[in-house]
Amino acid sequence: MRTTELFTQAIRPLGRYRGRAFLMMLGVLVGIASLAILTAVGEGTKRETMARFKNMIGTFDTIIIRPGGPGFRGMPTLVNVPQSLRFEDARTIAKLPKIKQVVEVQSAFDIDVKYRDRQASPAVFGVGPKWLSLRSEDVADGSFFTEEQNNSLARVAVIGPDVRKDLFPDEDPLQKTIRIGDVPFQVVGLLKSRGAGPTGAQLDNIVLIPINASARRLFNRDYLTMLMAQLKHPKQGSAVAMELTTLLRDRHHIRPPALDDFTVTNPTATMAQVLQAGSTLQKILTGVSAMALLIGGIVILSLMTIAVSERRKEIGVRRSVGAARRDIVVQFLLEASIVSFAGGVCGVIVGWGGMQIVTRLLKLPPILVWQPFVFSILLSLVVGVVFGIYPAWTASRVDPIQALRS
Amino acid sequence: MIEIENITKSYPRGEGGVVDALKDASFTIAPGEFVVVRGSSGSGKSTLLNILGCLDQPSSGNYKLEGENVARLDDKALARIRNFRIGFIFQSFNLLPRTTSLENVEIPMVYGEGWVDRKKAISALERVGLAARGDHFASELSGGEQQRVAIARALINNPSLILADEPTGNLDLNSGREVMRLLQALHEEGRTILLVTHDDQVASYAEREIFLRDGQIVSDRSQQARAPEEVMP
Ligand SMILES: Nc1ncnc2c1ncn2[C@@H]1O[C@H](COP(=O)(O)OP(=O)(O)OP(=O)(O)O)[C@@H](O)[C@H]1O
Ligand SMILES: [Mg+2]
Repeated sequence: MRTTELFTQAIRPLGRYRGRAFLMMLGVLVGIASLAILTAVGEGTKRETMARFKNMIGTFDTIIIRPGGPGFRGMPTLVNVPQSLRFEDARTIAKLPKIKQVVEVQSAFDIDVKYRDRQASPAVFGVGPKWLSLRSEDVADGSFFTEEQNNSLARVAVIGPDVRKDLFPDEDPLQKTIRIGDVPFQVVGLLKSRGAGPTGAQLDNIVLIPINASARRLFNRDYLTMLMAQLKHPKQGSAVAMELTTLLRDRHHIRPPALDDFTVTNPTATMAQVLQAGSTLQKILTGVSAMALLIGGIVILSLMTIAVSERRKEIGVRRSVGAARRDIVVQFLLEASIVSFAGGVCGVIVGWGGMQIVTRLLKLPPILVWQPFVFSILLSLVVGVVFGIYPAWTASRVDPIQALRS
Repeated sequence: MIEIENITKSYPRGEGGVVDALKDASFTIAPGEFVVVRGSSGSGKSTLLNILGCLDQPSSGNYKLEGENVARLDDKALARIRNFRIGFIFQSFNLLPRTTSLENVEIPMVYGEGWVDRKKAISALERVGLAARGDHFASELSGGEQQRVAIARALINNPSLILADEPTGNLDLNSGREVMRLLQALHEEGRTILLVTHDDQVASYAEREIFLRDGQIVSDRSQQARAPEEVMP
């Protein structure tokens, strides 16, 4: 095809004027490499953050309520939280039309769990039976406890992978009886691994028991450390968060100027904030590498323009043997695009390699995104076309007679 | 083959006014004619050839190539004519630098059929006796060889009209003869040939002579073309 042949004609000069082609590539390479690294790191961090949030709460369409006002810090446990969030609050919230389901949580961290002579110290959570359904997860083995088991105060437990490793290194844990504190619980299910949370904490070292058994048979506490309320429509997060605040202030008889004795968080909003903070720096750095790319583009523009004026005779010859203006435009445009594309590909390779080295040196988790690299390569093509237009147009305007006379 | 009528080409001059590089030129050339264009330096020979070759547009006048009015054609159509129907040969060869002979010969095919037939390029080089030089860069060839490569390039799309602007001007006697032998052969194949030259011997190959002075045709006459052997034993 004609385009294929023009492509060949466009590639040849790159081989013949290697120094120039190399410089053009270099400009694009630097811009693309830094852009690729930055967007990949940014995208990777963003995904990591999102994944950790998701690991922790399992889902983004959930509102989280904790006892204690906005000043409260640290992981809430039964021993350090104000006793303000009640089962009755949970029941009322569950009845709201915008709420799909609610999970009550009681958490404790300072409790030993034993099986025979083995011992582990996981986080122990009393949770409502909807826990898994709210997170749209499944157990790895066995089953999760049911509504009936919760109502009948059954002493059953579902354990995380770390606990299983500690207590049952070479035994099937199902139907075995473990002791949480001094209370015996029967293992009915195994959780899947969840990876790390937003603070890097391990989320697999846990034991889940039904909230009612937790409240009345294990801890003897009638308040909650956390309440998760899942939305019917994920977009209503902020509105529902306000609604819940009003409702709880009302239920807890709090009048201005008294502050809330609870905290309502909308994870989507929180995550957006976290990502926002990360992205400001990201934006600045991206701007810098966009500048680098722009400079790469200008290098192409100027070197191609020089090439056109040096190769006026060649253009004249091509015109005299049958090249239309259009062919000359296409050919020089292809030349600029090919060199820029090649710079882009090299830039991505260099960027990817550089990123591997950096993540390894800093012992960061590997960044597993490919989109920024594909995007960068496409962008290099765009740079070639955009900055190649002017020289290609100039080339097509060369007067063949003048060019051949010289 | 070629009909021109009152062709004028004017260039603006320094202090206003115009200079006519070509003035009111009219003639007809039949298919298969071998015409030599002569005249002193600056008389408008190259200007005429460039217009006939559809590289340049006249300021006024009509030009019909094989019955087709060239003035009406757009850039693309003119390029097609240059590609398929006209073969240019220049005094300074005009091969692409840092490009092999074979690749030079192939270039018209890029803009013509849109695909390169390497075999065809090789046989074109064979025809000018340079098959062995296909992978040489133009700069590695002698002037005569470069001009023969240029002839192979002009022939690759089998044009019916050959325009040669002082093709032997930069060559020594022997190379010039070789080039003229090739042109003679093209003529014998029935191609129309327009040749610009200052050289009497070279001019004697043609069967018709057009003489220019200051852009005007001052004589246009037939002459007895002599066989190359007669001219250059
Ligand atoms: N672009 C231009 N601008 C102004 N004048 C021009 C231009 N091109 C050609 N001329 C003039 O037109 C006239 C004819 O030029 P042309 O090149 O056709 O001459 P020629 O017969 O080929 O001469 P030579 O034998 O030296 O090659 C000359 O006087 C030249 O100076
Ligand atoms: Mg001339």
